[in-house]
Amino acid sequence: MEINEEIRAAKDVIQAILKAKKILRMYPSNNPIYIKTLEDANSKFREFFYYNDELQLKIKQNEIYCGSEQVYSSSEKEDNLALFFFKDGLRELTFRKGLTNDELEGFLTVITLDFDTEVIDDDIVTLFWEKDFQNIAYVVDEIILGDEEDYETPAIKNAKEETNEPNNLIKAYEDALNESDTIKESSIIPLTDQDLHALLEEFEKDTKEKLGKLVYILFEMMYLADTRQDFEDISVFLMNSIDYAVLHGDINIATDILLRLKDLLEDKNISEEIKKYIKKILLFAGSEKVVIHLGELLDSGQDIEEKTFVAFVNFLDKNAIIPLMKMLGELKSIHARKMVIDALTFLGPKDILLLASGLNDTRWYVVRNIIYILRKIADKRAVDFLLKTVKHGDIRVKKEVIRALGELGGPGVIVALRDSLDDPEVQVRIAALKALGNIGSEAAKRIILDRINDKKFKDKEFDEKKDYFEIISKWKDKEVFDFLVQILKQKTFFGSTKNDENRACAAYSLGLLGNKDALNILNKYKNDGSKLIKEFAFTAIRKLEHE
Amino acid sequence: MSDKEDLDLHKNAKDLINQISIVVRTAQIHDANNVAISSSISRLVSMINMLLDKENLINLELRGEFFYINEYRIRYSLEYLLNFDFLVREFKKRELGSVIFKNQIKIDDVKIFTRAFISSPFSDEPFNAFENKISGIESIEIGRLRKIVDEEDSLDVRRMIKKTYFNAVSYTKGLMNKMKSGEKVNIKRAKRVMESMVDHILEEEQLLLGMTAIKDYDEYTYHHSVNVSILSIALGQRLGLSRKMLTELGMVALFHDTGKTEVPSEVLNKPTNFSDEEWKIIKKHPLWGVRAILKLKKLDEFTMKSAIVSFEHHMNIDHSGYPVIRQKMGLDLFSRIVSLADQYDAMTSSRVYSRTPMAPDKALSIMMERSGTQLDPLLFKFFINMVGVYPIGTLVMLDSKELGLITESNQIFPTRPRVLLIMDRQGNRLEGRIVDITEKDEQDNYIRSIQRTMDPNKYKINLAEYLL
Repeated sequence: MEINEEIRAAKDVIQAILKAKKILRMYPSNNPIYIKTLEDANSKFREFFYYNDELQLKIKQNEIYCGSEQVYSSSEKEDNLALFFFKDGLRELTFRKGLTNDELEGFLTVITLDFDTEVIDDDIVTLFWEKDFQNIAYVVDEIILGDEEDYETPAIKNAKEETNEPNNLIKAYEDALNESDTIKESSIIPLTDQDLHALLEEFEKDTKEKLGKLVYILFEMMYLADTRQDFEDISVFLMNSIDYAVLHGDINIATDILLRLKDLLEDKNISEEIKKYIKKILLFAGSEKVVIHLGELLDSGQDIEEKTFVAFVNFLDKNAIIPLMKMLGELKSIHARKMVIDALTFLGPKDILLLASGLNDTRWYVVRNIIYILRKIADKRAVDFLLKTVKHGDIRVKKEVIRALGELGGPGVIVALRDSLDDPEVQVRIAALKALGNIGSEAAKRIILDRINDKKFKDKEFDEKKDYFEIISKWKDKEVFDFLVQILKQKTFFGSTKNDENRACAAYSLGLLGNKDALNILNKYKNDGSKLIKEFAFTAIRKLEHE
Repeated sequence: MSDKEDLDLHKNAKDLINQISIVVRTAQIHDANNVAISSSISRLVSMINMLLDKENLINLELRGEFFYINEYRIRYSLEYLLNFDFLVREFKKRELGSVIFKNQIKIDDVKIFTRAFISSPFSDEPFNAFENKISGIESIEIGRLRKIVDEEDSLDVRRMIKKTYFNAVSYTKGLMNKMKSGEKVNIKRAKRVMESMVDHILEEEQLLLGMTAIKDYDEYTYHHSVNVSILSIALGQRLGLSRKMLTELGMVALFHDTGKTEVPSEVLNKPTNFSDEEWKIIKKHPLWGVRAILKLKKLDEFTMKSAIVSFEHHMNIDHSGYPVIRQKMGLDLFSRIVSLADQYDAMTSSRVYSRTPMAPDKALSIMMERSGTQLDPLLFKFFINMVGVYPIGTLVMLDSKELGLITESNQIFPTRPRVLLIMDRQGNRLEGRIVDITEKDEQDNYIRSIQRTMDPNKYKINLAEYLL
């Protein structure tokens, strides 16, 4: 290969590296563009290696040389490949012929990292070193590692300053000659298979996570601490440990810390001053920072046992409510949301007003979840807040709040539910109806009966009517029985089809009521001219006879 | 070759070296024709032939302490550690540098090779004897062990080692000063320093260990931290830790005494014995170290491991040290390694309160007494194997009436290290000539042997003059 061609091929390699540096960070490794870019880079290297065994690049601050020829130059501060390598001390890069695809990808992956903006604990040289490339060698300038430009020369000069006194050496020599004892032949202690086995066991024991050990040390340090600053520091470290544990899925460790802190709180020998720090740590566990990490963990798909999660939540305080509610709106997986809902159901009673403030969230699904949680908690203090949500713009929220109100009951609820029976959405009306049935009070019954008696009732859709009659059958009293019988018997000349629907529903409701006294009258209608009445009367009879 | 094939080759290569080791071990007890060895040999043959199907030839080469197969360095794994180590020693005994297998190998070829391998060390010239005995085998060739570096290269390597060592000390000085004044510390640089250290220890362990033997530097604390790192990494290497783990170990060792930056200098530099009150302060440094490390950067693997080692490095395995804790818990592996390195370096160093350092062999014998109670006995076994019967810097009188300093231990013949002669047999001063005391005369007798060891400190011998 002629020199010109070699330089051209080297320049092509550099261009391929530059291209890959830009493109690879934008795509996942299975993306066709990623794969093609990698292949292109590989082929440029192959072209170079067709005639050469290695490509050695000398790195200067703003230039890269292949032999004595410059193959890259840039005076920019950003996007300057030479400077990018140079600033971490790289002075020479050599790619050998055996360069594998994996190695090239490993190399490109490192240089693709955004060292300026990403939080990366290592520099390029460390990352190369960790890859342990077989076919990529590099030379680094280690001077940049020391703190002083030339520490070595004065240190050596200093160490050698005290020259060996000839007399001392002579004395040593004479003493050695005059000593009579000679050393016994000794040998290294041989290592055995048992030693190796023991060593393996040591490694096995030692691979266990380090956080638990650190926490143990921090608690020991707490007992050994004697200044306020010590406690201040240790409490910060314990907070960091909790956060780290949650972030890395070690919820058990976080729980263990909280458990130990709770025990200390109950220890009479611990001063109130220290207890203040302990309380601060306990509160930190429910802080936004930790809860965000908890959310990330739950959303990550990592398998978190429910009991582990519950144990952790048990130690949280009401300050976790707001961040958890915030989290609720951001979680992606249903499983994660369910876990957070369970946590809020547990924590909500500590401050129901705080929890209820979540009803003001702009996201409908968050509001619906909060309503669900309030319903689960079943604290009547929530009713006032729920009543304000009855007019929510989202139908799903309305349904949920109506259901909750139905379960909680209380003043104002009946009126709200009655009003909801006029909602334009049938689903909301049905939910309100069911809620009234759930309340089961005389007032609720009266509302339903009045609605059925209303002139406009017959104009409702059949399914809605049927729901009314189904709900009213929950009141198994004489008034309802008589009311239903009366409706069943009610004949009209005008609008008979709509009226027949009411009568059929009344027959159906009598069946649900479970009073066998209804059989006489139902039997009269089992052969009714109206197909609908006939069918519903028949069903009701069967139900009453078989129960 | 695809990357998958590459990986397979590496695995097969490790298995191959392990199998050769097994064959040699068995052959030391049984003849190559014995049933006990035949299955090992036939397994070896099939492994070689399987590899030969993919490669034209297999070149197993020993370079330094590592085996290479067809130019690929074969990394040690813990499961094969002893067998690899054993084979390295056996190769060196025969001055054997490489074995090349080509074409297809027959069982009888390997039997002849094995017999030659076993019998050759008994010859005056083991390599030549070995080569003669296998000259009839066409499919196996051997090569003599090459000295890795010639004199010129050796000087370059020494220069590099020194640079690495002093860079590390310089970095440590900056690190500790910054920690003391609450400035931000660059951990990335610490990693770089340690990676360089690990590479040198893997290739030139003895030279770097030699640097730790010089104790006449002014700035004890910084040199001590670096020395503890070097000794810890070297021990870790013996234990078969990976490069990455060795770097971690070196890092935590470098930070083990950071708590001392908080000890008032009038206490730390006190030339006389400490009062009870001062001892109380000194005993706080492990706790202060934890505090300093955890304030250094956000919690991660490094800060956790460093904090643990800082807390535990004076505790002793029987918890007889400090800090005294309420709930006893086993010490971490890294803590036990650093504790050994720390004690050894401290004992053999000149400190403010103990100007005369202890001779290395004396320090080892004290550590031997502590092994099992204060020090981990298993790790101590590896440690003593590492520093050798005669650690670097030991002053020795030879039976040739020459006085010398140990400059390099010998892993194969521990009692026959390399010695720098400083006085000739007439008692005249010499200018640094290194001799290998494995050398024999024409009657097959050793030319030199160690007659006695002496304390170089008693005679104020400045090792720096000879070893730097």
